[in-house]
Amino acid sequence: MVSTGNELLDVTLLSLYVSGMATILGSAIGIPLGALIGLKEFGGKGAVKTLTYTLYGFPPVLSGLVVYYMFSRAGPLGDLGILFTPTAMIIAETFLVIPLVTGITITSVVEVDRSIKDTVKALGASPSQSIITVMREAWVGLVMACMIGFGRVIAEVGAAYLVGGNIDGETRVLTTAIMLETRMGHFEWAMSLGIVLLSVALMVFLFLRLLQEREML
Amino acid sequence: MKGIWIAFATVIAAGIVVGGTVSYALMTRDEEVKSIRLATTTSTYDSGLLDYILPVFEDEHNCDVDVIAVGSGQAIELGKNGDVDVLLVHSPAAEKDFVATGYGESRTLVMYNNFVIVGPSEDPLVTENAKNASDAFQRIYDNGTVGMAKFVSRADNSGTHSKELTIWSTLGYSKTQVAAFSSSWYIQSGQGMGAVLDMCEELDAYTLSDDATYYQRMDENIIPHLNMTYSGDSALFNQYSVIPVNSTMHKHVNHTLALAFKEWLVSEAGQDLIASYEKYGHQLFFPNATPQTVSVASSVTSEMMEVDRSVTRVSSPRAIFPWMDVLPFHPVR
Repeated sequence: MVSTGNELLDVTLLSLYVSGMATILGSAIGIPLGALIGLKEFGGKGAVKTLTYTLYGFPPVLSGLVVYYMFSRAGPLGDLGILFTPTAMIIAETFLVIPLVTGITITSVVEVDRSIKDTVKALGASPSQSIITVMREAWVGLVMACMIGFGRVIAEVGAAYLVGGNIDGETRVLTTAIMLETRMGHFEWAMSLGIVLLSVALMVFLFLRLLQEREML
Repeated sequence: MKGIWIAFATVIAAGIVVGGTVSYALMTRDEEVKSIRLATTTSTYDSGLLDYILPVFEDEHNCDVDVIAVGSGQAIELGKNGDVDVLLVHSPAAEKDFVATGYGESRTLVMYNNFVIVGPSEDPLVTENAKNASDAFQRIYDNGTVGMAKFVSRADNSGTHSKELTIWSTLGYSKTQVAAFSSSWYIQSGQGMGAVLDMCEELDAYTLSDDATYYQRMDENIIPHLNMTYSGDSALFNQYSVIPVNSTMHKHVNHTLALAFKEWLVSEAGQDLIASYEKYGHQLFFPNATPQTVSVASSVTSEMMEVDRSVTRVSSPRAIFPWMDVLPFHPVR
């Protein structure tokens, strides 16, 4: 771990790093997946959508357990030795982001006005061009998907605790620190850390809102 | 067409950044100063003991000790899967099983503290006059069933919970019978020790606690309405042991450093350091390392202690446990 010498700053930065990476990875998988499910017609589409929405409720601890078994020394990928590292936390949290981003992307692309899709087609756009157009129209929803994904993982404690281990200076993030302080009876410190977490989330969301309104890309 | 290439490039770039960071994280992990992972129970960490003693070991051996503080059951599970190098836990039966099945190399006694009965500071049941822990529990039961007292149980299969069940069993209540106690007075919380003490503070309830967690919370004035209402029965003894994970079973464990850690804990320096840790004006952990490592199959000393403990209620505890002279064995008030 890179250390700044300030414990609170380290913990906050690690929180941002882990949830940020999980959001990026989860969105990189979830957005194309959601676009595919939303725009393409195929058999069993309804079932796939239902499954995606069901996974919104995937419990973080369960995701942590799955990743634990994958990367435990006794598990199939144990030789990588990444259990109790930020990498393992990122992987566990990516699993939590994917369904949310996929589901919201599906809704966003489906809601793009039928007439826009038809117009694009009528103007002779290639399939890839029409996909780009639809994705631009769905932009606000896509950023929203990332925001909700980020919101879920920065606030998550079960997976982070299980596969991270809450190791001081290594894998302690804001949520696991809050849990530790609560367990030790330091309720005021836990509350303060909670306020730090919310402030950090506020900054991230302000940035994403800016992205949403500027309609960049 | 330009758009799709931009999107594509973005995804690739993100992939490179992520892949780079991930491999960076992987690389630095192995090239850092050597480190071991210690799985331990929450009481040793939350009481501040490890933060107090570990820096000394880390300096001496120029290494990092990564502490994973979880419940006893989870700690032992992490050891079984080879995800940690060494354990510091307090669940004798599970520990012996862990060593006997070959997961642990050997079990070495390190230190002990005591379980105590904690209750409202007015102590309406006068458990402080109880003859022994069983008698105190009987008073709580008698008053609880008629709505005059409450008891909060860990009810989480922790070391403390199994100690509580042992005491109920001396009164003739099996595990199943205890679980069926009326929830009007017997609260099965499923929470950690600290959280249970906080509940007792709110509910004016009694509970069985390890004294380290109790003193830590008293020290910080978190549970001002509670008091240690009974202590001193040798049945309330709480032993901590260190167990290096077996390196023939899990080849990658840092066995050398784990052994060094064990040796250091039971060395004079380690034991003295443990003895010097205080909270609320009380020593929290009492070193009692045996000179030789007790391996479970032939653990005469350890087995004898188990047997002894069950009969000490009738004989003098001090005759069998000379180290008990240092105990704060007296009612608190």
